[in-house]
Amino acid sequence: MECVVQGIIETQHVEALEILLQGICGVHRDRLRVHEICLKNNPNLGNVASEVRLLCDLELPEPTWTVKHLGGAMRGAGAEQISVLVRSMVESKVSKNALRLFNALGYKLDHELLRVGFAFHFQRGAQITVTVSSVNKMLKLHATDEAVPVTPGIQLVEVTAPASSENYTEVASAVSSFCEYLAPLLHLSKPGVSTGVVPTAAAAAVSLMSDDFPRTQPE
Amino acid sequence: MTIKWVLHWQPNVGTSVNSQILNEVSQCVESINGVKEGRWKATLTFYKPMLRDQSLASEFPRDFLGIMVPECPNKYFFVIRAQRIVLEADSTIQTIMEKLQSYKMRVALNFEGFQYQLGDFQLRVGKVVPTHSENLRGIVMEVEYLPISSIEKSRQIMEEFLEIWQEALSKRTLPGRFMHMEPNFTEYGLSDHYSSQHTAVQYANVMAQLIASVQSVQSMRN
Repeated sequence: MECVVQGIIETQHVEALEILLQGICGVHRDRLRVHEICLKNNPNLGNVASEVRLLCDLELPEPTWTVKHLGGAMRGAGAEQISVLVRSMVESKVSKNALRLFNALGYKLDHELLRVGFAFHFQRGAQITVTVSSVNKMLKLHATDEAVPVTPGIQLVEVTAPASSENYTEVASAVSSFCEYLAPLLHLSKPGVSTGVVPTAAAAAVSLMSDDFPRTQPE
Repeated sequence: MTIKWVLHWQPNVGTSVNSQILNEVSQCVESINGVKEGRWKATLTFYKPMLRDQSLASEFPRDFLGIMVPECPNKYFFVIRAQRIVLEADSTIQTIMEKLQSYKMRVALNFEGFQYQLGDFQLRVGKVVPTHSENLRGIVMEVEYLPISSIEKSRQIMEEFLEIWQEALSKRTLPGRFMHMEPNFTEYGLSDHYSSQHTAVQYANVMAQLIASVQSVQSMRN
């Protein structure tokens, strides 16, 4: 299970966001370059339509693969009341021929993306990961070197934290409180609920980029 | 560092496996000074596709196996023999497969028994039984040599050890023998450096041999 919120930011303000995140988290960013392959089942296979994502981390010296399954969002009155999406998420690190195996099982390519940016991983009431990335599409099959942005000038920000059925309310509230720190630059909401860029972003970015901003976490 | 051969018991024509053979084999390991260390277990699961139209079954693999090997309890391996595919995954992949609802378990088998230490060798002798049953379907043996991880470099010492082992076992005049059928690891994209993926491929191969020997007994009876 995981708690997740998403938002968007103009590329020109990403540097300010990075400074802000660095200040809040007190950790260094990790570079992010992930090839994401989304596969869907053959229509004759399975009781339900299903999809699975294969993620290849291209940032490491030897590319590593992960199979990821995202389940449906939690529903009900409780889920409505919280501002983050809670959904089932299972990951498994796998050897390099996962694509071949899933193709053999009847899963075919639906779409593929290349995410390029950076990520912060830190503990703040929950094990939070913030990724800031430009989402690129491939013009030719698997050609990650020739990827072009899907939305030029706009980057995707995603905040996730692993959770369980016992602690998701605490994790959701930790994620919500964290998001408030980012509010001047961007608004984060449940995936699929687009809120656009925030009007205060430019002014907040100028303030963050000035030398007055403390670059380490305040006491 | 390690290298492993997985062998299966090939009964003589007209005979089948029984638990007495397993006892004799275990006693034989102890007679050559194998020190009993504890239990071991591997599991092998056959998956079948959940299809809306059964007439299209030929489009999907019939020999899709999930394997858990003794040395990696946190890993799970998938093997499709016909296409020479082996995949190593964290054991959470089993949850992902359940959530996809596209393949379901057809039958699961346990390979289980005792482990013995014999100098630089580790031997594992075990029975093959369906889960939730004691119906003996076969006997397997793992011969593991700990100091070397190159398949080619260890070949001679493995062959010499097996020769000694087969000779010790032959004194008991059992109705069959252990067979080693080495898969072509290169076809699976595996190198000479031994890994748990090699073990998974060997288990898939041993399973195919067990099925073939059961089928040949059945065809003789018919």
